Amino acid sequence: MEKILTKKSFSKWVKKLESYKIYAPVKNDDLWNYEIIDIPESIQPDYPNTVLSPKKIIFPQREIFLEFKASNEEGLEVKEILPEERPAIIFGVRPCDARALTLTDNVFKGDFEDPYYWKRRNQTILIGLTCNIPPSFDCFCLSVGGSPHSKDGLDILMTDLEDKYYIESLTKKGNQLINLAKDCFEEPKVMDKKDLEKIQANSEIQIKRQIKDIKKIPKKLKGMFDTPFWDKESLSCIQCGICTYLCPTCHCFDINDEVASSAPLKGKRVRTWDNCQFPDFTMHSSGHNPRPDKASRLRQRILHKFQYFVELYENFQCVGCGRCISKCPVGIDIIEVLDKVRDYGL
Amino acid sequence: MVKVEDIKKEAKRILKEGKVKYIIGYKKSTNGLMSVPAFIESPEDVENLIWDPTCVYNLTRFLVDEKRRKAREKNPDERPVGIVVKGCDSRAIIVLLQEKFINRENIYVLGISCETTGVLDEKKLLKKLNGKKAEKVEYDEKDNFIITTLDGKSKVPADEILAERCLECRANFPVINDILFGEKVDRKLDNRFKSLEKIESLSKEKRWGFWKEQLDKCIRCYACRSVCPMCYCDECVVDTINFAVTADTTAEEKAQRIKWVEKSPTTSENFVYHFVRAIHLAGRCIDCGECERVCPMDIPLRFLNKKMEKEAKELFDYDAGFDPDQPSLVSCFKDEDPEDFIR
Repeated sequence: MEKILTKKSFSKWVKKLESYKIYAPVKNDDLWNYEIIDIPESIQPDYPNTVLSPKKIIFPQREIFLEFKASNEEGLEVKEILPEERPAIIFGVRPCDARALTLTDNVFKGDFEDPYYWKRRNQTILIGLTCNIPPSFDCFCLSVGGSPHSKDGLDILMTDLEDKYYIESLTKKGNQLINLAKDCFEEPKVMDKKDLEKIQANSEIQIKRQIKDIKKIPKKLKGMFDTPFWDKESLSCIQCGICTYLCPTCHCFDINDEVASSAPLKGKRVRTWDNCQFPDFTMHSSGHNPRPDKASRLRQRILHKFQYFVELYENFQCVGCGRCISKCPVGIDIIEVLDKVRDYGL
Repeated sequence: MVKVEDIKKEAKRILKEGKVKYIIGYKKSTNGLMSVPAFIESPEDVENLIWDPTCVYNLTRFLVDEKRRKAREKNPDERPVGIVVKGCDSRAIIVLLQEKFINRENIYVLGISCETTGVLDEKKLLKKLNGKKAEKVEYDEKDNFIITTLDGKSKVPADEILAERCLECRANFPVINDILFGEKVDRKLDNRFKSLEKIESLSKEKRWGFWKEQLDKCIRCYACRSVCPMCYCDECVVDTINFAVTADTTAEEKAQRIKWVEKSPTTSENFVYHFVRAIHLAGRCIDCGECERVCPMDIPLRFLNKKMEKEAKELFDYDAGFDPDQPSLVSCFKDEDPEDFIR
């Protein structure tokens, strides 16, 4: 379904969506992040990349699985905690961040479907916004199979045409939202369609950064596990968790029991994000650590995204949002690392 | 004015003569503006070295890595490591020497005086340019930065985009060095704790509200800890690893290991993490401001450490990082130390 929504009608439409929990990019001090908002007046077309992607809504940093407490009769009373039942809409999702969720979907389905992830995923509607101008200097979505107007994972894609939005509804969920306020929308004219095509074509030209010959990289990486390359590339890495926590596709987690009281026993089992760049990520209970240094941890990050994930799901585990580049405290640039990988030994 | 050619000349000399095994300095990043740490091993690579207001990093943090790497090597290269330091960074070396974490003979210090200027705050610069990309930032020797963008050049008063710490700097000159670049220039500083005034004037409740809001943003990426040259503990209280585990440790002993901080980024756990760090930096932090610079969530961490610096000064007349022979604050006492807080 394709429609036109004037900017004046935008808030009228959103008012009709009151029963949903609504998230949109919000600026606090100088930081942009997705937050729950009341009724957005409009969505600024030129907001930069949010620090955290909508990953934090679908796969929150802390998820309570269950509560437990000692009980006289049963020994231990266990209560499952599932995410709140409330449909949500995320406005202004960048096409790369939406694509990221389609990649993470692979991980949480299969032999075991993760009920926590899917509960949130299925009750969340993603409304994307074409990146007319790149939201970061480090965007490189085109190199990894995405684009500034990619529709992957989105329910609706909005494209800003100055005084109006071009609305492309891509799923049933998207159509439903539009049908809730039919009178807000108009049929697109031939000119609108032309404008859309022009803007979307132009949005691609604006992406300046790219990884050349990326197709060669997975195979190349396969032979590089035991090379000194990683020692050299990781020299400046400080082993913080910024690149992975900010990554819209990183999904590793840890499960811990948080004990509030030991007698009588009471506490929660929680899942939290975990991070392959931390020394305790692979620490065995024997005291042995198979990834003992930062070289092996940087290697893991690159190999997981550009070799293992490709072997498993035929896609790079990277959507080119550029967050790990812009926010790296020491300027490690994944594009530069991959360029060097491609040319290694040539 | 410091000339980068002079630094390159010395770097080339010490590498050629084999005086150092490598040099830790600055080179241009791939974004074309800011610098990144450079590890220069051969005289040919010296050409990559730069020195400009984007050289923000406190490179002494990499001396911690060097020590660890060396400890793992069977036949380590015993030559010193060359390291480029600004005044603030040089004070970190003093603390590391004082705590006997590094030895003087293991480092060759290329000290650079910031003279009348300092380094940039990239976030301030981005804000100033309203999202435009800067290509070059130069100091004009008259308290201004000249910023080159695609639209041309513009002049910005230095104070507006200098790093916060540079505005309260008391060590624009390296306190330790083997070779020095630039001159010693005295700088007037009325109040070294000026940035604290606003937050100190808040009521207790407001201060609590401020810190709760700030620390609730924390995603526990530990970048502040990871970038800090003073956070060199083998085992950090927030990590779940335990180096005390050996082949003989029983399952029960492992299970009973105390977990001081949960992984959850909740208010209480975030407070424990940041306050443990602040307390451990009291009398050690030299205000390089790296923790605040790297924070992806813009938490004003420098306030915490600055407050500790002020406490150390006011209670014990202690200044970190100026004298390697001074005992460290938390491992010494003097007869005249105040004790009125003991009740």
